[in-house]
Amino acid sequence: MPALILGGVALAITAWGWAPDKLGLGRSRIGLRLLGGLALAVVLLLPAAVRVSAIPILPPALAVAAIAVSVGEEIAFRGALFAALEEAGGAPLAVVGSTALWTAAHALSHPPAFLVAVAAAGLLLGLWRLWCRDLVAPIIGHVIADLAL
Amino acid sequence: MKRAALLAGAAAAYLAAAWMVAPGFYDGFAPPQPYNFVCPPSQAGANLAPKSGQAVIKVINGVSDASDAFTDDGQVVIGFLPGSFDGTGKTSVTVNITPVSPCPNPPGLHFSTNTYDITADAPLVKSATLVMRYSNLVVDPSFAYRADSPNGPWTKIVPSPQAQIWTVDLKVDKFGYYAAGYPSNSIAAGGAGANNQILPVTIAILILVVLVGGIPLTILRRRQARSGDADDDEDDE
Repeated sequence: MPALILGGVALAITAWGWAPDKLGLGRSRIGLRLLGGLALAVVLLLPAAVRVSAIPILPPALAVAAIAVSVGEEIAFRGALFAALEEAGGAPLAVVGSTALWTAAHALSHPPAFLVAVAAAGLLLGLWRLWCRDLVAPIIGHVIADLAL
Repeated sequence: MKRAALLAGAAAAYLAAAWMVAPGFYDGFAPPQPYNFVCPPSQAGANLAPKSGQAVIKVINGVSDASDAFTDDGQVVIGFLPGSFDGTGKTSVTVNITPVSPCPNPPGLHFSTNTYDITADAPLVKSATLVMRYSNLVVDPSFAYRADSPNGPWTKIVPSPQAQIWTVDLKVDKFGYYAAGYPSNSIAAGGAGANNQILPVTIAILILVVLVGGIPLTILRRRQARSGDADDDEDDE
């Protein structure tokens, strides 16, 4: 459990030196962005809600780890990496590159059959990040999805 | 508008991709390893055939070793204490676990798991611990059931408290056909069944919050934008 939490913190450290606005973490339109996070969570969880009869209730320690890792992943992949790729090669590279690397990182922990869904989730969150200039909603959506599944 | 349409397209693509694999997107915290069904339910995605298993347990001076027998996909594990078998005259005991096909469909019962035929070439003299995994795509089983034949009759066994999520744990004192399920005329109770509706209810609440919160916020933003435009006009005059 501590390793997961440390991993989440380590991922978040990649944002060191970036201005919050560049990471999509500014404070403008915060109400709408919070609601956007809930809307993204609905989309991410909809297939499971339709077909799964029961969900595990995460123990508190694991829930803390889930939050740390999902926030860390968002800050690292769609925060710092996205910002760096956008500066280097523009928006298409930022969306495609962050999605590809995020999917590749999940190849270690997921069976290959799940990687298409992981990539599609990454693309959705990446496009939101691009067009709404927002990372708050992807963080909220990702955290809720991780807590639920 | 074009961006919103593309975002909606990405969401639709995600939904399609996530629908192909149950349960959809997850991040590895409670990985629901797909269950291998003999008779997959309609909501299951790609399904692999369940595996069988065999264990050969040493017998020394008539006393069998402590050991486990399990299927190769880990869906059934049975643990034996030292001296669990009547090993008189034997040097080993062989235990076999085989998924039963076709699926038994006893009247009045619904099985959540595959039915497994567990056999050994020596009788049990001590209780063994049987752990049967079940899928997150099915209703949680309330009970385990045992029979001497796949055609029944089936005897209900109240499981032990769950040691791990998505498992049914029980003590068994003889071999035979085992499955976990629930009476057809009841809703599964206990175990993880209590949280059956959490996810759909949570999604419904989230949709409500997004709608109830989003509409006034959007109206407010439009009013602010209009008043901003009006202020600009006044400044221009």
